[in-house]
Amino acid sequence: MEMPKITRRTFLKVSATTGAAAAAAPRLLNAMENELGGKDFAPVSGIERKAIPINCHVCNIQDGAIAYVENDRVVKLEGNPEHVSTRGRLCAKGNSGMWYSYDPDRILYPLKRVGARGEGKWKRITWDEALTEVAAKLDAALKEDPNTIMLKWGRNRTGGTLERFMKTLGSATVLNHTSVCESSKKIGMEPTWGPDIETPDFANTRYVLNFGSNVLEASYFHNPLSQRIADGRIDNRMKIVTFDVRLSNTAGFSDEWIPVHPATDGAVALAMGHVILRENLQDSDFINTWTNVTVDELKEHYKQYTPEWAEKISGVPAATIERIAREFATTKPATLFTYRGPAKHLYGSYNEKACMMLPIMTGNVEKKGGYCLPRGMGWPQPKPEPPKPAKGSYLADHPDYPLAAHKVSHLVPFWIADGKQKINVYFTYQDNPVYTNPGSMAVWGKLLKDEKLIPFFVSMSSHMGEETALADIILPDCPYLERWEPESMPNSLWPWLGIRQPVHKSLGESRENRVLLRDIIWKLDPDGKRGMKQYWDFKDGEDYMRHHFDNIPGLKEAGGLDFLKKHGVWPIYGKLDPKTGKIVDKTGREIRAEYGLHMKELSEADMVGATVAKDGLITKNGKAIGIRRNGKNYVGFPTANRLINVRVDEWAEYGFNPMPTFKRIPWHETMKDDELILTTFKLNVHKQSRTAAVKWLAEIAHSNPMWINSETAKKIGVKTGDLVRVESKVGYLVTKAYVTEGIHPRAVAIPTGFGHWEYGRLATLKLKEKKGEASHGQDDPDLNNVWWDDKGVHPNNIIPAVVDPIGGSQGWYDTVVKVTKAGPNDKYGDTQGYWDKHYEAYKETLRYAYTGDLHRKMHPEMASWAGPESVKPKVHGGH
Amino acid sequence: MLSSIFEIEDEGKIGAGETAVIPASPAAMAAECRARASVYRLLSGVFVEEAAAEFLAAIRADDMLRQLAETGLRFDDDFVATPLSELVETLAIEYASLFAASGGFPPVESVRLYGRYKQEPEFATMQTYRRLGFVLQSGRHEVFADQLGVELMFVAALLERQAVRLDGDGHAQARELEKEIKRFWTQHLGRWARGYGRLVERAASHSFYREMGRFLAGFAEEEIGAMGLRVEDADQARLEVPKAEVQVAFDPDEPVCNGCASEAIAQRSGIVSVLHDLRV
Repeated sequence: MEMPKITRRTFLKVSATTGAAAAAAPRLLNAMENELGGKDFAPVSGIERKAIPINCHVCNIQDGAIAYVENDRVVKLEGNPEHVSTRGRLCAKGNSGMWYSYDPDRILYPLKRVGARGEGKWKRITWDEALTEVAAKLDAALKEDPNTIMLKWGRNRTGGTLERFMKTLGSATVLNHTSVCESSKKIGMEPTWGPDIETPDFANTRYVLNFGSNVLEASYFHNPLSQRIADGRIDNRMKIVTFDVRLSNTAGFSDEWIPVHPATDGAVALAMGHVILRENLQDSDFINTWTNVTVDELKEHYKQYTPEWAEKISGVPAATIERIAREFATTKPATLFTYRGPAKHLYGSYNEKACMMLPIMTGNVEKKGGYCLPRGMGWPQPKPEPPKPAKGSYLADHPDYPLAAHKVSHLVPFWIADGKQKINVYFTYQDNPVYTNPGSMAVWGKLLKDEKLIPFFVSMSSHMGEETALADIILPDCPYLERWEPESMPNSLWPWLGIRQPVHKSLGESRENRVLLRDIIWKLDPDGKRGMKQYWDFKDGEDYMRHHFDNIPGLKEAGGLDFLKKHGVWPIYGKLDPKTGKIVDKTGREIRAEYGLHMKELSEADMVGATVAKDGLITKNGKAIGIRRNGKNYVGFPTANRLINVRVDEWAEYGFNPMPTFKRIPWHETMKDDELILTTFKLNVHKQSRTAAVKWLAEIAHSNPMWINSETAKKIGVKTGDLVRVESKVGYLVTKAYVTEGIHPRAVAIPTGFGHWEYGRLATLKLKEKKGEASHGQDDPDLNNVWWDDKGVHPNNIIPAVVDPIGGSQGWYDTVVKVTKAGPNDKYGDTQGYWDKHYEAYKETLRYAYTGDLHRKMHPEMASWAGPESVKPKVHGGH
Repeated sequence: MLSSIFEIEDEGKIGAGETAVIPASPAAMAAECRARASVYRLLSGVFVEEAAAEFLAAIRADDMLRQLAETGLRFDDDFVATPLSELVETLAIEYASLFAASGGFPPVESVRLYGRYKQEPEFATMQTYRRLGFVLQSGRHEVFADQLGVELMFVAALLERQAVRLDGDGHAQARELEKEIKRFWTQHLGRWARGYGRLVERAASHSFYREMGRFLAGFAEEEIGAMGLRVEDADQARLEVPKAEVQVAFDPDEPVCNGCASEAIAQRSGIVSVLHDLRV
């Protein structure tokens, strides 16, 4: 028998024709985690591990996850294949989540401060001792004024428990972290179309405009959205154009990265709108039907925003703006995404609004492949519910920022120092402003160390962060793998409900937050005579969840909480196809999302008793329920007039421009040649402050040199690795330079999440500093594997407070700095912020509030506004 | 509990490196078990939670201090001359710094050997406790099953059981318990107690914990020797010699395995080391 002659030449010839056959041949090997579909086996014994579905909470994307438990401990975390948004995938952070539970630096017992605040001297006390002391302080504060009890959270996924606690106490002094997060993005969007975020349909789009988001690494909702970006790139060959001061990994993945001068994205977006309207590329039908302006009004308004005008401001060539505007308007479908880039500035709300106008004017809203409303689900609260507090709080509803519905929490230290509101008891939960806020230690550290301003400080925390280290009492909270929480997040086009559930008993004496708060209330009102205990009548976290989940239509029939305990998420839309990584229905086709939510028609039953106004607004029982358009009754958008408000009339009441506009940062206009703008960013393996204690993540990324453009670096004689001194008007720091072409020449960028001075042995690397001393667990076997000495440098000490007078956001990317080569007395890691200078910056930013003297100057177009005296102050009714 | 901790030393003055034939009578063996149990209970009390006033008062009793001094423990005035109530408070703060607050080095086997809480030793010790009929309860605070104080307490309890068996007719059960103790040392305490004791000695600010750390390390060394165990201390807290300074002297005349034969003979004849001066 003659054997075929196989030479390399014939082999290659054959291979050219085998493609179809190879594709049709059986494939038995697929990605194991997908193929196993939520199962895992111990590698030695082969025994199937217990799989407990949860929602990840290392960061706040809320990925569906599974905790695999062996011998009563989590040995592996993996994506939940039943979760429609994250489709069985977890990021590096999610894979490392068990470190929170098993971290040797975790706080496991109630601790009472015995030295000076921040000295690090603690005594372990019993829960009863801790609760008794906290209750006594609360009792005294309640007698004076409930609002002297303050609670500030960083991340609140309790599903309403923290709010219940404060309402039970009758205090409206509830603060959050949102002003250092993305509040001006929210305020740019909410009055315009209702929700505070968009859902770009990346998977089905052909074109993406990305303004200042690093969605492949960091922003909401990077895991589910980056999957869809990959789908869109592969399936639709979509184009992505990224405007960013820095060549982020998302910018690098994009077809075009357009470096834009910091704080000028809004000008570029307006100029693109100008081109679209000038060339009649807009969707006139959509504008006229679904917005509160006409095409003609819009055209007239946008005439002023020429590409040449934007080029001067942003540095982006007018021709580029024109080309991209045309591409965006003529490629269908197209979508847009933004994150902190446009929003975290003085007037960030204007920038966000300018960006979102592009999908609106091109009619890409709520279309397949377009710019969609977020989809989410809610849950009922256990009954009875405590009433709203009787009085409002100055700190929580500051009168100078009436439009900042998400508060202006980062100014709280100055307001307290100014005596605007007295605080007797300060609670903190999953927060760390001493690290994460502008001024960090120089501002928040000063506040929380001052026992006159903050007489009693209670931290509910599982870890010794920079803030918790200053507390008087620490109540040990549970990390996310040990607590119950309801969850829902609009991180894809399919709404879902989910839970976190404990994977095992909480370690030590830590208590999940809702139980801990219940115990405080029970101590305060043991016999129920004060009327507080009635709101906290539950046995444990699971019992509380039953109140949330056992009566939701649909879920109830599926089994309520028991269904969620088994699957982690509801509904189950389909099955994960291990070959494609997509969710498919019974026929094997990918499930399809619902679009056009605003065009859902009201039923006859809905219309019974409803009235239709002349402008089409449909109201029922005094509430807007829809809008009549072209003879049909639609639900419309979730705004008061059920339309997209291109013109936000409420802004005009306070002297702000109600139409899309842009304001330059005044101090950027006067920058000297040797001055630069400091920006910050996050890496994909860290969140704001709490991942520095996670060993696997710290090993991947633990230092943060400052990015500086090669041209700029050359001018000051700096090479990669050189020490540089970075000075702002409120302080200075010394760090290392990373010289790169990947950043705008007028910007420098320092990643956040590094340079901790608390947060445990790994974050601080104190074991390296203090080998042999009685601290920080030297010689822990894993710590011997810590091969790095560089923990990075935290920039927030030198970033002053800046407030968007509309949205309340911190202007993270507005800081002007001078960068020089470090001097002989400068040491790596030196950093200093000054309270007095931060205080001056706070006073300066108040001048831009609608009550401030610079407001009019910044808004010459609003000359007819009658001034702050013309505005009727908002009545504060608590929360 | 504390009155009998050094009874064993009264059995005979044993010098460094010496061995003695274990007392043949069951009563003497029972007495030794009880004596050892007392030491375990003492050390357990030191590490399992903050020292209570009663516990400290007992240790500061003249007889006790003298006996401890004879074993080589040297407490400073911060322990012996501080008013009791103040001492309780000071030691509670020191306990939190060393063992219970962030930044310390928890006396937990999982942390010492795996760098994290609740690893395999926690599960394994709990299984062992259950198998032998023990239930772990909280004291003033919750403790992990593989917490040093709990592990020491467990051995103390086994020794006390062993003594009871030796008092009666349960010699076979006593031998089984002895095996259990050896197994537990081999699998758990022997792998970390010595190194950890030295770490405490080195790191403590207060002489009470410094000396008790020393006591733990010495006692563990003695117990391992007395039981004839060969177990490597895996706690990385032991002193590390930089690699460049390690010198290996090669002696061509050294027997490949000296001592195996004599050890085997000793085991067969029931000869084991007994507790002696911790200064050795």
